[in-house]
Amino acid sequence: MIAHVAWRLSRRAAVNLWRAPLPSLVSVLTIGLALFIGTTFVLGILAARSLLTSWGAQASMTLFLDPAMPDARAQAIAQQLRARGDLDVHYVTPAAALQRLRGDLGELGSALDGLSQNPLPPSLEIRPQKPLPGPTARVLAAEMGEIEGVRDVEFGREWLEKLEALGRGLRVFGAGALLAVIGAALVVVANTIRLAVYARRDEIEIMKLVGATDGYVRAPFLMEGALQGLLGATMAVGAVLGAQRWILPRAAQAFAFAAGVTAPHLLPLHAAALLAGGALVGFFGSWLAVSRFLKA
Amino acid sequence: MIQLRRVKKVYPGDPPVLDNISLKVDKGEFIWLTGPSGAGKSTLLRLLFCAEQPTSGQILIGGRNIGKLGQAAIPFLRRNIGIVFQDFKLLENRTVLENVGYALEVLGASDAEIRERARKRLDQVGLAHKCASLPRRLSGGEQQRVAIARALVNEPTILLADEPTGNLDPSLTDSILQLLFDANARGTTVVVATHDRGLLQRWHRRTVGLEHGKLVFDA
Repeated sequence: MIAHVAWRLSRRAAVNLWRAPLPSLVSVLTIGLALFIGTTFVLGILAARSLLTSWGAQASMTLFLDPAMPDARAQAIAQQLRARGDLDVHYVTPAAALQRLRGDLGELGSALDGLSQNPLPPSLEIRPQKPLPGPTARVLAAEMGEIEGVRDVEFGREWLEKLEALGRGLRVFGAGALLAVIGAALVVVANTIRLAVYARRDEIEIMKLVGATDGYVRAPFLMEGALQGLLGATMAVGAVLGAQRWILPRAAQAFAFAAGVTAPHLLPLHAAALLAGGALVGFFGSWLAVSRFLKA
Repeated sequence: MIQLRRVKKVYPGDPPVLDNISLKVDKGEFIWLTGPSGAGKSTLLRLLFCAEQPTSGQILIGGRNIGKLGQAAIPFLRRNIGIVFQDFKLLENRTVLENVGYALEVLGASDAEIRERARKRLDQVGLAHKCASLPRRLSGGEQQRVAIARALVNEPTILLADEPTGNLDPSLTDSILQLLFDANARGTTVVVATHDRGLLQRWHRRTVGLEHGKLVFDA
């Protein structure tokens, strides 16, 4: 008996969708739009964080050496660092540094002619071969500072800290905004489904009059809601995949500063989660809407 | 079968809709419930099928106090009560056969059983040939006959009818009432609310009169 009742309720859900396509279509579109906005928002936040991380990871480091350090000792330190295998090391002599400064100053470079001696220390410019996240860059800088003869380590600490603060802010803002988007989407979806259910309040009343239990009344509506959610989520997944394929590559070309950053993509697991999420939103939206009429 | 003991129904801020009503309806009896508009007839019927609860007093159906029924038990009580309304309450997007079969679906009957019993009941009300029609294709009298077929399809012990002929042409009244008398002849207890005194004069049955929520006669 349970099997044929379940089959009958499923059939009724499908027939109801077929007989009243417009309210169903509105629910499907609302759920699809809400999920699409939510997903693109999450992907946008992840892309922004990825961009910030890549900017932080590009930071290079300069080791300022003791001005009195012999050239051979400085070369030896450079060689020792190169031997680690993960760093590109470039030794800059005091003379080369002065020459570079003169070039940077342009016409004002002649001001340096009056110096009785070169005030610039020898230095080692270090660039990690693989991008380093902020905390790892700090550990490396501390390690470099321990080397005998190294007076100071410059690695753009302030810039890195600002980027990290921005990343933290983005995370907090992203979580808050995501909650707001999800909340708003749920309210809109629940109200849309409620309107569709409202149009069928007579049916609910008659079902109750002939002795249907609340569960029996609710079941086809829940199935319809889940099915609408699933269809909406399918639309959202299709739209996101379409945007990734056709819009994102053009957008990436337009933003040169983001070159080299891989935008997060919708993986099969994410798509499956989105489909399940859509079905759940439809299911619970219908539950809320029908409960209201069952109480009435 | 049905017993009301000092039943009172009051909505906040209004005078009582039903005031101290005591009434006993025996199994297999047919009664008219009459009175002017606003006398409390419909409210009394609504109390009987648990659409509302009395403010005070007791309502017993088959010896059971329905005021103490839990929310989950109400559907099972309703499966024993057929209800007919003035406005038919048919589902416009379902065929006549589906409308009648609806009451059997909730009982978990098989599709074949639903078709067979619904057809049989439609045959009894003279509408076997309209099984596949939608309600809007039927006349008012035919729609009410479908509603009666739905109310009777699961053979309830009680049939409640609220102004069943109120929306119909007078020429159709007798045929509709005959269906209710037929059900009563088969053993169903029938309570019909009407304000049409002509019906009471043509069809002599026990008549309970209500006015301003009070029982004014029982004859």
